[in-house]
Amino acid sequence: MATVTERVVSIEEAPVVISRTRALLAALRRKPLGAASAALLVLIVFTAIFAEVLAPYDPLATRPEIRLAAPSWEHPFGTDDIGRDVLSRVIYGARISLWVGLLAVGIGTAAGMIIGLLCGYCEGRVDLIFQRVMDAVQAIPGLLLALAIVSVLRPNTTNAMLAIAIVIIPGNSRIVRGAVMSAKQNRYVEAAQAIGCRHPRIILSHILPNVTAPILVIASIWLGNAILIEATLSFLGVGTQPPTPSWGLMLSSTGRAFMEQAPWLAIFPGLAISLAVLGFNLFGDTLRDAWDPKLRRN
Amino acid sequence: MQKYVMRRLLLAIPVLLLSSLIVFALMRVMPGDALTALMGESGNVGERELAKLRKDLGLDRPYYQQYGLWLWQMVSLNPGHSIFTNEPIAVSLKKAVPLTLELAALAMVIGIVIAVPVGVISATRQDSASDYVGRVVAVSGLSFPEFWLGTLVITFAAIWFHWIPPIGYVSFWESPWRNLQQFLIPAAVLGFRLSAATMRMTRSTVLEVLREDYVRTAWAKGLEGRIVVYKHALKNALIPVVTIIGGQLGVLLAGTVVVETIFALPGMGRLTVEAILFRDYPVVQTNVMLVAATLVTLNLVVDLTYAWLDPRIRYS
Repeated sequence: MATVTERVVSIEEAPVVISRTRALLAALRRKPLGAASAALLVLIVFTAIFAEVLAPYDPLATRPEIRLAAPSWEHPFGTDDIGRDVLSRVIYGARISLWVGLLAVGIGTAAGMIIGLLCGYCEGRVDLIFQRVMDAVQAIPGLLLALAIVSVLRPNTTNAMLAIAIVIIPGNSRIVRGAVMSAKQNRYVEAAQAIGCRHPRIILSHILPNVTAPILVIASIWLGNAILIEATLSFLGVGTQPPTPSWGLMLSSTGRAFMEQAPWLAIFPGLAISLAVLGFNLFGDTLRDAWDPKLRRN
Repeated sequence: MQKYVMRRLLLAIPVLLLSSLIVFALMRVMPGDALTALMGESGNVGERELAKLRKDLGLDRPYYQQYGLWLWQMVSLNPGHSIFTNEPIAVSLKKAVPLTLELAALAMVIGIVIAVPVGVISATRQDSASDYVGRVVAVSGLSFPEFWLGTLVITFAAIWFHWIPPIGYVSFWESPWRNLQQFLIPAAVLGFRLSAATMRMTRSTVLEVLREDYVRTAWAKGLEGRIVVYKHALKNALIPVVTIIGGQLGVLLAGTVVVETIFALPGMGRLTVEAILFRDYPVVQTNVMLVAATLVTLNLVVDLTYAWLDPRIRYS
């Protein structure tokens, strides 16, 4: 009996993976904006990985004799107040932003998923307690919470990342909880329970596959937000610390101080943040269109 | 209805208590307490003075007593003193809150004034040039951080018009014109960012509603296009829009933090950021709780507006 169910389930599951990739590819083909955002993200990831090769100069090397030089062939994005090449710093900045974004969203999503699975599967008192805690965390605006956490832990990149992860948890846990609750209504879950499957098995092989699509969609949108929050924290002076090239920090430290003499110091890092956030937002929309028929709009 | 409001208010109490516990705990895990940080900067302070200060601030008591005392202070609207400036927190809040409220309200109005008409135009002229322009503006609003927009506005206003944000806050009642000069640009920066999500939501719900039977009926009766769109379609499309606006209150309040910092407006946001930077924990915990309580209340108000917008919704 068990083997029959297993086989049925494995047959049902296999096409899900293929059809998801296919659905995404179809959506990318259908929507030029989605394809453009995917290309943009590939470009950013590529820039972050190969920063050493792509950056024309050392992002930390100072040359005071060419301070605040306007954009030119030699320095396409100009130089900052101590003669560092802005282009190289923007390229290296991609690494910080992506790194913080990926780790924060990874930790936040994983923790949110565990809490959501637990709440949605167990319901009852566990659910009630966890959800009230999540309500309480969500009552505090994300940026303020992140600011408070970072100030307590001491401002640096790692703590900014942790703070962002904590901000992400409540929303994610709620989405997973909802998805788990609706997945639980499925007949095959009932069947698995009836034949005596253990809870971890039911969760991992019957419920989890239903939850991955919304999680990935939300994660991709959160990536953009995480990059934005990191930039904001760095801009306010409690994120990445100088001299590390972070986009938000570049804007606040030199961008604002010399904005009238050297507007390029403010323009390029800001543009980089906006493009990265734009890329993740649009890509998240595309993923949602491809995977979540309920949210699909014509 | 009254019962519903009461129940929601009662439900909000445990949530806010938990939030306060989280904030309180957060402020207490600081490596080395706030006093050491404070005194470290001013230099030679003896152990005895430190102990005295600690006693004055109640930091020598057990945590549960400190928490209880703080709760009592919050409830009795007398949240103590800043440990940095020694100013009563109630006094600094009295100065800062109206400013942030004005900024937030103005930003909200600007956001809605941009978002709703553009969203409706986008929807009624789907796939036309104006639709694309509207959508691009919306997506850029979502992606441009306030601190970048703000910095750019200040930069180019200074380069092109030699305009710099006026220093020294003037209240609306003193001089409405100078006050608006101070607030309009920061509020527009914030409003533009807020408008993005609202615009997208307006567009998609209006698109949906325009396909409903009653809209077709309205057209069939020979009603004027404007009336069909604004009276029949828009009102029914507004519920998800109100949800989105409600969900953005947090974004709005966070946005004021950044915008106030950039435009040197002495509001709640800047007060909080400064308190966080100086680890002025009484100010931080009070401000964060005030924001949380405001958000919880506003969310209730948003839920109640649904009933007004859609008479089918009845709370009981």
